[in-house]
Amino acid sequence: MKKIVTADKLPVLWSHLAGQGKLLLPVKEGPTVLFKEWTAGDEVALDAPTSAISPKDIFFPREETYMRYRCRGPVLELSAGEEFEPVTAFGVHPCDLKAFEMLDRVYLDQDPVDELYRDRRARTTVVALACFAPDPFCFCSVFGIDPVSAPGADVIAHLDRQSGNLMLEAQTVKGEALLKGDASLLTEANGQSYGPALVKTADFGLKLSGLSENLKGRFEDPAWDKLYKSCLGCGVCTYVCPTCYCFDVEDYGHEMAGERFRCWDSCMYGQFTLMAGGHNPRPSRKERIRQRFLHKLQYYPETYGEIACVGCGRCLRSCPVNLDIVQAIIALGGEQNVQR
Amino acid sequence: MTADNPYIPYFATIEDSWFETGGDRCIKTFKVVFDDPAVRDSWNHKPGQCAMIGVLGEGESMISISCSPTEGKFLRFSVMKMGKVTQALHKLEAGDKMTVRGPYGNSFPVDDWQGKKILTIGGGIGQAPLRPIVEFVKSNREKYAGLTMIYGARSAGDLCFKGEFDQMSKRDDLSCHLTIDIEEEGWDHNVGFVPQMLLDLNPSPENTIAVTCGPPIMIRFVLENLKKLGFSDEQVYTTLENRMKCGIGKCGRCNAGCMYVCKDGPVFSYSVLKDIPEAFA
Repeated sequence: MKKIVTADKLPVLWSHLAGQGKLLLPVKEGPTVLFKEWTAGDEVALDAPTSAISPKDIFFPREETYMRYRCRGPVLELSAGEEFEPVTAFGVHPCDLKAFEMLDRVYLDQDPVDELYRDRRARTTVVALACFAPDPFCFCSVFGIDPVSAPGADVIAHLDRQSGNLMLEAQTVKGEALLKGDASLLTEANGQSYGPALVKTADFGLKLSGLSENLKGRFEDPAWDKLYKSCLGCGVCTYVCPTCYCFDVEDYGHEMAGERFRCWDSCMYGQFTLMAGGHNPRPSRKERIRQRFLHKLQYYPETYGEIACVGCGRCLRSCPVNLDIVQAIIALGGEQNVQR
Repeated sequence: MTADNPYIPYFATIEDSWFETGGDRCIKTFKVVFDDPAVRDSWNHKPGQCAMIGVLGEGESMISISCSPTEGKFLRFSVMKMGKVTQALHKLEAGDKMTVRGPYGNSFPVDDWQGKKILTIGGGIGQAPLRPIVEFVKSNREKYAGLTMIYGARSAGDLCFKGEFDQMSKRDDLSCHLTIDIEEEGWDHNVGFVPQMLLDLNPSPENTIAVTCGPPIMIRFVLENLKKLGFSDEQVYTTLENRMKCGIGKCGRCNAGCMYVCKDGPVFSYSVLKDIPEAFA
């Protein structure tokens, strides 16, 4: 099923979708683009390269209260956190879509299933947006991601740069349901196609084949002694990263009432692994940097068969000292003209 | 409330609690029973497994279950007073409630060990995960070729489960060896470090499984000495501990290499462990 929405009708489409639940869109906020809930009047940025922060929080919110408790006399009552409402996530780039697949493996495919993630995932219709203007930091092609296709998305959208019209193609039953909307809004696409069929990103001269295998046994590699030195331990890389999924669980309240919640955490922080007795298996930034990059480049591939990076470029744009994953891969010998 | 949400705990009531040791980092044991009879009946743990226990408003900690399922429909946790959550736990007494979820992690493969001699080597609070093995083997003694327990602590006052050893040393189907670091009055067992006592006892590695748990420095020397005694890496088991939050291999903090201690551990054969780079960090 293929439908077209003309540029002038886009605000109507947003209102229409927002009427069915929560609508998330890439929206301009000052100089940045954020993936957030749309409200009338927002400036939607479908032509932006990518949002500043990954949209992983659709399924894995920064903070999520999953249990509330209250004592009424001798009776202790538990109740769930919030109810999940239907969500349309519109304009997810293929790199971020691929990252969803990587989080799915951890949260859905490994027993036991993370029900909080699963419920949000099940209630969300994902509309991917073919990427036609990668910026100089984008390098998803290195990971074999096609910027103009979106396997697994419910709908793929292509934006026509000249007209600003949007072509929507359903890829799942959920996607078809979304497109069975108002005929005056969504018109049949009669064999048209939008956008360049071939989009390539930078590759920074990276060569990833064999890297994960090669990293086994390089835990004490001298490269780690150099690599970590510029790190400030700020954790922004993990915050913006679409494939970072670590979290903390904490209580807020007292013995009579309160809540138990989870929130994003970061392996870049010393407290992450600090034990109550004072021992820390990762006492310095060296061990933390090594953990983060080995997790992406060796541990995750060892378990799931591919590197946990999608080349979205966010760590390249965000790291204040340019200690991004490209620099790490290069330092570990992952360049085309380097013999390992 | 999602019934399937793995983060939602059960409530358990403390039936009994007592101090094992004294001092700043004292150890208190809790005997708890699930409030829901259905949970009590369906709960099934194996020696070596852990549970996330908690106090509402304070948080949760991963604690090893220090009883064997053969002991009855209750759980025991021996908790050292250490951080925020364990301090809150220590304030609880009989009749109070704690939250419990689990059981988590793999377990000691006690069924695969049938027909073998079992040797446990513990130090301090490290006896807590070993106690279920001892109790399990005691209850199924005819299925095992032998049971030897070596347990030590800094002083007599630092030994956990003291009340249980007198009765054990009277049994002729197991041998129980206790040691403390420094001589003290009224102590009629061994004096010396656990790894040395292991060497002195000189157990044969033949058809034997050795399981050790205790402070990292003790484990290091026990592993060395087991090697000296001729134990192969496959015959030696230990447990790891790291900071944990989820207990189900999702939150990403307790890994050593690509293994999550909460899920793939806490029990590891030394033949596996020796190749994991961060295992002894």
